[in-house]
Amino acid sequence: MKRPITAALAVIGYVIMIVPIIFVVATAFTSGSTLRFPPDGFSLRWFDEALGYEPFIGAAISSLELAVVATALALLVGVPVTLAVHRGKLPGKSLVEGLFLSPLIVPELVVGLALFQQLMVGLDLDNFSTLLVGHTALMLPYAVRVTGASLALADPALEEAARGLGASPLRAFFNVTLPILRPGIFSAGLLSMVTSFNNVPLSLLLQGRDFRTLPVTMLDYVQQSYDPMVAAASTLVLAATVVIAVIAERTVGFAKIFGGINQ
Amino acid sequence: MTAAAELIGVTQRFGSFTAVDEIDLVVPSGQLTTLLGPSGCGKTTTLRMIAGYSAPTSGTIRIDGVDSTRTPPEKRHLGMVFQSYALFPHMTVADNVGYGLKLRKVPSAERRARVMETLELVGLAHLADRKPKKLSGGQQQRVALARAIAIRPKLLLLDEPLSNLDARLRVQMRAEIRRIQAETRLTVILVTHDQDEALEMSDEMVIMNEGRIVQQGSPQQVFPRPADRFVAEFLGYENFLTAADGTPLTIRPEHLRIAEQGQGLDAKVVDVAFRGVDLLVSLDVVDPSGATVRLRADVRNDAPLTPGSSVTVIAPDDHLVSLPR
Ligand SMILES: Nc1ncnc2c1ncn2[C@@H]1O[C@H](COP(=O)(O)OP(=O)(O)OP(=O)(O)O)[C@@H](O)[C@H]1O
Ligand SMILES: [Mg+2]
Repeated sequence: MKRPITAALAVIGYVIMIVPIIFVVATAFTSGSTLRFPPDGFSLRWFDEALGYEPFIGAAISSLELAVVATALALLVGVPVTLAVHRGKLPGKSLVEGLFLSPLIVPELVVGLALFQQLMVGLDLDNFSTLLVGHTALMLPYAVRVTGASLALADPALEEAARGLGASPLRAFFNVTLPILRPGIFSAGLLSMVTSFNNVPLSLLLQGRDFRTLPVTMLDYVQQSYDPMVAAASTLVLAATVVIAVIAERTVGFAKIFGGINQ
Repeated sequence: MTAAAELIGVTQRFGSFTAVDEIDLVVPSGQLTTLLGPSGCGKTTTLRMIAGYSAPTSGTIRIDGVDSTRTPPEKRHLGMVFQSYALFPHMTVADNVGYGLKLRKVPSAERRARVMETLELVGLAHLADRKPKKLSGGQQQRVALARAIAIRPKLLLLDEPLSNLDARLRVQMRAEIRRIQAETRLTVILVTHDQDEALEMSDEMVIMNEGRIVQQGSPQQVFPRPADRFVAEFLGYENFLTAADGTPLTIRPEHLRIAEQGQGLDAKVVDVAFRGVDLLVSLDVVDPSGATVRLRADVRNDAPLTPGSSVTVIAPDDHLVSLPR
C-alpha cells in the first residue's frame, strides 16, 4: 500500500458502514421477540410477519409507485435536455448542466421545505404530487450525468456516418445514438429508483395521511414498537437494493454513473 | 473527362479563421483523387463540405453537375469513411454494411446478397456476423470501406483511411484500395498527409496549404515539377539554391553527384552519415549565384569522402527544377 492513511480510513469507513448492517441482518433472523444482538436462535418468522403486515405492504407499493413514476419523469426530462445541451443547440451548456446537477448539492431538507411551502401550502397540491416533484428533481442528476457521460464517450462521427448512409437526423438518433445510450439510461433508471425508494428526508417532510413511503412508515413503526419485524423488512429492502445495484454495475458501472461531476 | 464533383470558390470560415479559402476544384469521374497537405491545411474541412456535414461559408458545390451546396448528407448518396471508422458498435459487420441498403428499402434477400458481395470485395465475408469491437484495426477499416461502397455511392470519400494502421498494413492497403477502386470504377477522393501514399495511389493529386490549393495534376506531372518551394519541400526536395540570374532552384538529394574534381560547384564536405546502401553527405556548396548553401547529397557508399575535404558537386540540368521567385 502506497498510502497507508488513506487505506486505513477506507477500512474504517467500510467497518462503520457495514457493521450496523450486519447487526440488523443478523437480528432479522432471530427466533426471539426482541431486537437484540446476538439473536436468540434462528427462524424466518419475522420475515413472515413483515410480509403480512398490511401498513408495510401498502407503503412498499406506494414507494414503488413513487420510485417508478419519478424515475420515468426524471429520464423523460433529463435525457432530452442533456442531448440538447451536448449538441450545442441550447445556450449556456454549463449553466443548464449545473442547474440539473444541483439537487446533489442542495440539502434535501431545504428542497423539502421549499416544496412544502410552494407546492403543498402555496398551490395546494396533494402530497403524492409534491413528493413526485421532489423525487423527480432529486433523480435528475442521475439521468443528466449518465446521458452526458455516455454521449461524451460516443464518437460524434457515428451519427454522421448514419446520415451519410441516408438516415434523416431523427432516424440516425433512433438507430445509432439511442442504442448506444440505452445501457447507461437503463442503469441510471435502476439506481434512481433505488435512491427514490430509500429516500427518507424528502419523504418525511412531505408525508401525509393518504400517502406514505415505506422508509417513513418503518420509522414510525420503530418509534412505537421495537421488534425484529423492522429488521426483517429492512433486510428485504437491502437485498432488493443489492440485486438492483449489481445489475446496474454489470450494465454500465458505477464509475460512469457517479463519475464525471467535473466534466 | 467528366466531373463527378466540382467546387467553385468554396470558402469555410470558423469565426475569423479561414480554414478553406476560395478553392476551385474539379474531381474527375471514375478516378482516384487525393487531397494532400500538412496537418491543419483544410483537407478534412473540404471533404466534410463535399459530404454535406458542414455548409460552406460561400461558394458552390456541384455533385454530378447538380448544385448540392445546401443538400443534407442523407440526400447526397455519397460514401464516407471516417478516420475513426465510426462503425456502429451495436450492429454486426453485416448489419453495418447493410444499413444504407436497409434505409433504401432494398428487400432483405437482395440486401443480404449485396452485403456478402461487398464483404467479398474487401475480403471479410467470413466475419459477417461479428461485432466491430472484435475486429482488428485493419478489418474495421475494411468494414467501413464496405459500408460506404455497399450503397454504390456517387463519390467515395476517405479521410486518412490508412493513418490508424501499422506501417506494413498501410502499404498493403494502398494497393487494396486501388484494386477496389479499379473494380468498382468509383470516383474516390482520398485525404492524406503522406506524400508517398498520394504519389502511389493517385490518378490526380491536389496539394493544399493553408486552406488553398497550391498544385493539382497527376503524380507524373507534379512530382518532377513542384510549383513552388512549399510543394517542393513537401515532396522531399531538400536542396535549395539560386541560379546565376537569381532564379530559385531545387534538386533532390539523390540527384546530386559528387566528384573529386572537374566541372561543377565547389564544395566542402561537412558530414558523412552511413545509411547502409548509401551515404548521406552534407556539404557547404558555393552555388551559381556565389552564395554558400548547405546541401545534402544521397550517394553510393563507395565514394571516399571525409569531412573537411574539398570536392565538386554536380547538379544535372535535367533534375534541377526552377521555382517562382
Ligand atoms: N469546427 C471547427 N471550428 C473551428 N476551427 C476548425 C473547425 N474544424 C476545423 N477547424 C480548423 O480549421 C483548420 C483546418 O482543419 P482540417 O481539419 O480541415 O485540417 P486537416 O487538413 O484535415 O488536418 P489534419 O491532417 O490534421 O487532419 C484547422 O486549423 C482546424 O483547427
Ligand atoms: Mg483531417
